[in-house]
Amino acid sequence: MLRMQPFEVHLPETVAEACKLRSELADSLFVAGGTDLLPNIKHGLFTPKHLISLSHIDGFDGISVVDGAIRIGAGTSLDVVANSTDVPPGLAKAASLVAGPQHRKMGTLGGNVMLDTRCLFYNQSTQWREALGYCLKAEGTFCHVIGSDKRCVAAHSADTVPVLLALDAAVEFVGPEGEGAVNMRQLYRQEGRDPVQLDDRTLLTAIVLPPLPAGHVSTYRKVRTRAAIDFPQLGIGLAGAIVDGVVTELSAVASALMPQPKVLKGMDAAVGKPLDEAMIEHLAERCFKQVRPQRSLHGDPAWRRHMARVEMRRGLEELVEASQ
Amino acid sequence: MKELRTLSINGEDRELAIPHHWTLLEVLRYEAQLTGSKQGCDKGDCGACTVLLDGEPVLSCCTLAMQAVGREVRTIEGIANGVTPAAIQQAFDVTGALQCGFCQPGMIMSAAALLEKNDDPSIPEIQEALSGNLCRCTGYTKIYEAVQLAAKGLKQPVERVTGTPTEGFTVIGSRARKLDAIGKATGATQYADDIQLPGMLHGKILRSPHAHARIRSIDTSAAEAMKGVKAVMVGAELPTSFGVIPWTPDEHALCIDKVRYIGDGVAAVAAVDEETANRAIAAIEVDYELLEPVLDPRAALEEGAPLVHDEDWKGRPRKTNLCKKVELSFGEVDAALESAAAKVSGTWRYSGSTHAPIEPHCAIGRWEPDGRLTVWSATQVSHYLHRELAKVLDVPETKIRVIQPALGGAFGGKSEPFDLEFCVAVLAKKAGRPVKILYTREEVFYAHRGRHPMEFDFTIAADAEGNITAVENDIVLDGGSYHSFGLVTTYYAGQLLPGPIRFGSYRYRSRRAYTTKPACGPKRGHGSVQPRFPLETAIDELAEQLGMDPIAIRRVNGMVDGEETITGMKAETCGILQCLDSVEAASGWLEKHGKLPDGRGVGVATSMYISGTNYPIYPNKMPQSSVVLRGDRSGTLTIFAGTNDIGQGSDSMLAIVVAEETGVPMDDIIVVSADTDLTPVDLGAYSSRITLMAGTAAKEAGGKLRKRMVEAVAAQWEVPTEQVGVRPGEYYDTDEPEKVLPVREVLWLTESASGTLAEHGGYWTKDRGGDYRGGTIGASPAYSATAHVAEVSVDENTGKVTLHNIWAAHDCGRALNRTLVEGQIEGSVYMGASEALTEDMTYRDDGLHFGPNLLDYRILTSLDTPLLEADIVETVDPAGPYGAKEAGEGPLHPAIPAIANAIFDAVGVRLREMPFTPERVLAAIQAKHAAE
Repeated sequence: MLRMQPFEVHLPETVAEACKLRSELADSLFVAGGTDLLPNIKHGLFTPKHLISLSHIDGFDGISVVDGAIRIGAGTSLDVVANSTDVPPGLAKAASLVAGPQHRKMGTLGGNVMLDTRCLFYNQSTQWREALGYCLKAEGTFCHVIGSDKRCVAAHSADTVPVLLALDAAVEFVGPEGEGAVNMRQLYRQEGRDPVQLDDRTLLTAIVLPPLPAGHVSTYRKVRTRAAIDFPQLGIGLAGAIVDGVVTELSAVASALMPQPKVLKGMDAAVGKPLDEAMIEHLAERCFKQVRPQRSLHGDPAWRRHMARVEMRRGLEELVEASQ
Repeated sequence: MKELRTLSINGEDRELAIPHHWTLLEVLRYEAQLTGSKQGCDKGDCGACTVLLDGEPVLSCCTLAMQAVGREVRTIEGIANGVTPAAIQQAFDVTGALQCGFCQPGMIMSAAALLEKNDDPSIPEIQEALSGNLCRCTGYTKIYEAVQLAAKGLKQPVERVTGTPTEGFTVIGSRARKLDAIGKATGATQYADDIQLPGMLHGKILRSPHAHARIRSIDTSAAEAMKGVKAVMVGAELPTSFGVIPWTPDEHALCIDKVRYIGDGVAAVAAVDEETANRAIAAIEVDYELLEPVLDPRAALEEGAPLVHDEDWKGRPRKTNLCKKVELSFGEVDAALESAAAKVSGTWRYSGSTHAPIEPHCAIGRWEPDGRLTVWSATQVSHYLHRELAKVLDVPETKIRVIQPALGGAFGGKSEPFDLEFCVAVLAKKAGRPVKILYTREEVFYAHRGRHPMEFDFTIAADAEGNITAVENDIVLDGGSYHSFGLVTTYYAGQLLPGPIRFGSYRYRSRRAYTTKPACGPKRGHGSVQPRFPLETAIDELAEQLGMDPIAIRRVNGMVDGEETITGMKAETCGILQCLDSVEAASGWLEKHGKLPDGRGVGVATSMYISGTNYPIYPNKMPQSSVVLRGDRSGTLTIFAGTNDIGQGSDSMLAIVVAEETGVPMDDIIVVSADTDLTPVDLGAYSSRITLMAGTAAKEAGGKLRKRMVEAVAAQWEVPTEQVGVRPGEYYDTDEPEKVLPVREVLWLTESASGTLAEHGGYWTKDRGGDYRGGTIGASPAYSATAHVAEVSVDENTGKVTLHNIWAAHDCGRALNRTLVEGQIEGSVYMGASEALTEDMTYRDDGLHFGPNLLDYRILTSLDTPLLEADIVETVDPAGPYGAKEAGEGPLHPAIPAIANAIFDAVGVRLREMPFTPERVLAAIQAKHAAE
C-alpha cells in the first residue's frame, strides 16, 4: 500500500486556533476532506511535517441565506451542496458531478475551490515521476506538456469553480493579515505551480454568492470518460438570467484547460435577446474559439476543444429549458 | 508520532495507538485488527475501503485516522445484528452478488448507507449510490438485485440450496449459495494481506526507472545500514531463471544484468514496517547504462532493432526480438479467395488491457523451525508456484508449502510466479522472520501479464450463400519484456479462431515480439479475444455485401454437435445455433436491426472457447486434477483439492458435485483447496479448466463413496442396490419413499460395512487435437459457445457510445449452479464491454506507463454498466461432469465486436481500432460525412 511519511496531526476546534497553528508551524498544511491532499501526500507531492485538520471546527459548514446572499461555509460537504435547494441549481449540479459519492461526502466546497491543479505528469507516484525525470510543478525543471521550462500548465480541475465564477462568487478567508474577502475571479492565476493568489497560510472560511437576479438560470456541463469518479476533461459553468424569454445576464466559464479557469468573453452578446438557435450557435462558436485544451489531461485536445462547442450549446439549451 | 486515542468503532470505544500519518484504513486493518475493510487502489479510486463515518460512506484510505476521533466509525464487521448477518449481507450472498468478494465490504457499506435513507431504491438510484465502488467480477447486475432484495427485507435464514434443480438431479442446476459468500459479505474472510504473523516484517522491491538499461552495479550498503532494515537482496542471489512455460524460462526473480521495462524489479528489502522499507529501497544506488527502449512491436521485429534479450535462457545469443512465430495453413486459401463472392480485407488493431483485480498481489514467506518454507500468496496457480519456487530457490519441493488464501480477483493476472513470491522467501530466510510484500496498485500494473496488443492484416471471403470460404490473418503480438505464456498466446491467436463459425480454409502467421514494456500474458479469454474483433466485425461486412442479416450469416456458418474445426479441434457439442436463437429473441433483434432511430443500433457476435487445455504445461502422464474425499462420523465430508478458487466459485462447484453424488447436504461439506501440503495436485485456475477437470475428479470420488453408501443401506434393508434412492440429507427406499435413513447414519453404516470413509478421483485428458506441429495447442476436451447482441446509442455530436444492454447466451454444457454460471457470463460481458469502451494500456515513447492506477486506467463504474441479461444454453457435453463445460471466459469474447457492430448499426461507421473512445468514434463519423 502507498504509505505516507510521518507527520503530526492537529485537531483545532476554532478557525482562530487553526490559523494560529498554520502560522506557527513550519511545513504545515490544512486538510479538510483529504480526498485530494492525501493522495498527493501518498504520491510524495507534499511532504508536510504537520497537518492541521479542519474536521473538528465547529460551525465551519452550513448554508445560510441572508437578504438573498448565499453564504456557504467552506467546510460544507459537496454532498450537502449537491442536495441543497438554497444554492443555485448550477452549483448543486456541479457539486453532484464531483468524483464519486464517497468523495462528495468527504470533500468540502472550500477544498474544491482550493483544489490543486492537475496534470498527467504530476499526479503520479514518486517512482513514476522519477522515471519521468520529474516536472516543473514538482522537483523538476521542465514542463512535459508544453515542452518548456517557462511555466506550468497543470489544469484547473475543480468542478464547482466554473459555476461559482459565473455566479460572481467571492470567498471569505482568514490569513496572516487577518480576515478578508476576494472575488473568485481574482482568486486564480495562470501558473500551475502556485495557482491560488492567496498567502499559503490563508484559511478559506466561506463562499459567498450575491443575491440571484430575477429569472436566474445556471448549469454545469462536465466532460469525462466515465459517469463517476473521473475528474473533468472539460467543465463549463453557466449562470445568468432569462426574463420572459429575454436574456438579462449571461456569464460562462470554462475549466480543465489551463491553471486558471477561463471566463469566456462575448457572452453579453445575448443580453437583451432571446437565446434562440442562432444565438446559441454564435455563443458556442465564441466558446470554441477561446478554449485551448492541453495535453495535461487525458483525451485528445482537439476533441476536447470540439466538445467545448457541443457542451456550450447543450448548456445554453439547458438554461432555456430551465427558464420556461 | 503515535498517540493513544480512543476511536468509536462499531459501537465500541477502542483505545488505539494511532500513528498520526496513518489513514483510518491502516489503523482499522493493522491496529484494530479489523481487516474486513479492503485496500485496492492506494488512493481513493476504487471504494473497497468504504466505511461509515457518522453514518455516511467515506473512503477510509483517504481519511486520517485522527480525523475519526470523536466520530462514529462503522465497518463491515459492525453491521450484523449480533451474530446474524445484516439483510444486505445476506442479500449479497443469496443473489450471488459476491464472487471474489474483495470489493464487497466497501460496496455493502455504500449499499447500507443508501438503504438507511431509501427503503425502496430504483436501479438508477442504486447505480448512483454504488458508483464509487468498483467491482471487477460481477458486472454489477446481481449487486443491483441484492440491494433491491435487501430493501424488501429477507426472511431468515435462507436455505443454502434454492431454485429448482435440473430434472433428474437434486442439487445440480439449482441456485445453491456459494460456500464462501457469507464470510466475504461479513468481512470475516482472510485474504493474503489480512494475514499478520508474529514478528512479521514488510518487504519492498526497488524497481527500474528505465525501460531498457544495463545494470553496472548495485550498492545496497546505505539500505543495509538503516535502522529497522532486516534484510536486503539483489538479483544475483537467485541466478536460476524461470518461466511459467517450462520451454521459455526467460525471467529472473530480480533483474541481474539488465532491466527491460519501467518497473522491473532490481533489489528488495525487508524492514520493520513499510515506511522504513520504502526509505530503504530509496537508499539503494543502482548504476545503469541506458539502452534504447523498444516499444513498437513491428519495429522490434526489424533487423538491427536493439535486442531486449541479448541471449536466451541457455546462454545462446539472440539475433532478433522475435520470441515466437507460428505459421499454419489449412485448406486451399488462395483458390477460395479467388472465387469469393464477397471479400473483406484490412488492418485491425486491438489495444492492450489489463486484469485490474481489486486485490493487489500479496505474498508472505515464513521459514518454519524444521527448515521448511511456507508461502501464502494471492496466486491462481499454487502448483506451478510450488514448482518454480523450488527451482529458483534451489530448495526441494518437499520442503515448500504453498497456500492460497481467499483471492480478491485474478482473471489471469495471478497465473504465474511473480517477483514478490521469491523475494519474501529469500528475505524471510535472511531475516529469520516472516516477510510480507504487498504490491502497490502501480506495481500491479507493472506485473501486468494482461491482454497482448495485436495488429491484424486480416482477410475473409464468402460465397454467394454466405459460407465463409477463406480466412487469412497475419498477426503481430506486442509481448512486452518476457515470455510469460507468450508461446501459447502466439498459437491461441490463430488456433482458437475457427469456431463456432466454420471456416472453409484458413491460413495464419502469428509473430510475438519482445518490447521493453511490462510483459503481456493471459487475460480472461487468453489470446483469442483479440482476433474475434476483426473476424466478427468483418463477418458483418460480408453480410452487408451479400445483403444478408448478420445473425443469418452466422447461422449459415454455425458449427453443430460433433463438428471439427478446420484446425482439427472437435466440439462434441456446440450450441451456437441455440445461442443465436436466444439472443435474437431476447433482444428483439428482428424489430431492431436496421430499424432503430438514427444513433441507436444493435450488433451481434459469437465465440467459442476451450474448457481446459488438453495438455498440461509440463509434459506428464499424471492426472490434471485430483480430488480426495473423506468423511467422518459427525456426518461431515471434506473435499481436498488443489484447485484455486479465485472467486469464480470452484470450491462451491466441488461441494455441489459431492452433494449431488452422496446426498450429504452442502452445509456439511467442507472444501480444503490450494494448499500444497494438504491437497492433491490440480494445475490451477486458468484456461477455464476447473469445472470440467476437477468437477470430473470430484464426481468420481463422490460416486465411489455413493456406491459404498448405497451398498451399505441396501445390505441393511436387505433390498437390491437399485432400490436405494438418494436425496439431500437422506437415503430412501424407492419402493417405499417414506422409509428413510438420515445421511449421517448412512455414513456410519458405510464405515462399519466397508471401512474408512475415503475416496479419490482424478481427471486425465484423452489425446485430442490436430495431427500437425502445434495441433495440440488449442485442443480441449470441450468447447463452449456464446452469442451476444449489444444495443448502443451513439451521440453523433460527441462520438460518445452509451451501452444500453448486452444479451448474452452461453452454452456451458450443463449449469451445475445457475447463479454462478450467470455470474460468470455477466462478469465476462462487463469486462469485455469495459475493454471495448474505455480501457487502454498506453505508454510514453520512453516506455513509461501512462497512468498505472485505477483513476487513469478506467474500468467501468456501475453508472456506465446497464443491467446485463444472461441466458444459459445447455448441450450436455460428454466430456464434462454431468455435461458441464466452461462459463468463465468464452462469454467475454463477443462483447467487443458486438458493440462495434452495434455502433455500425447506429451510425454507419466501421471501427477497426480499439477502444471505441468518443474521439475515435467521432473521427469515424466525421470521415464518413466527409466522404458522402
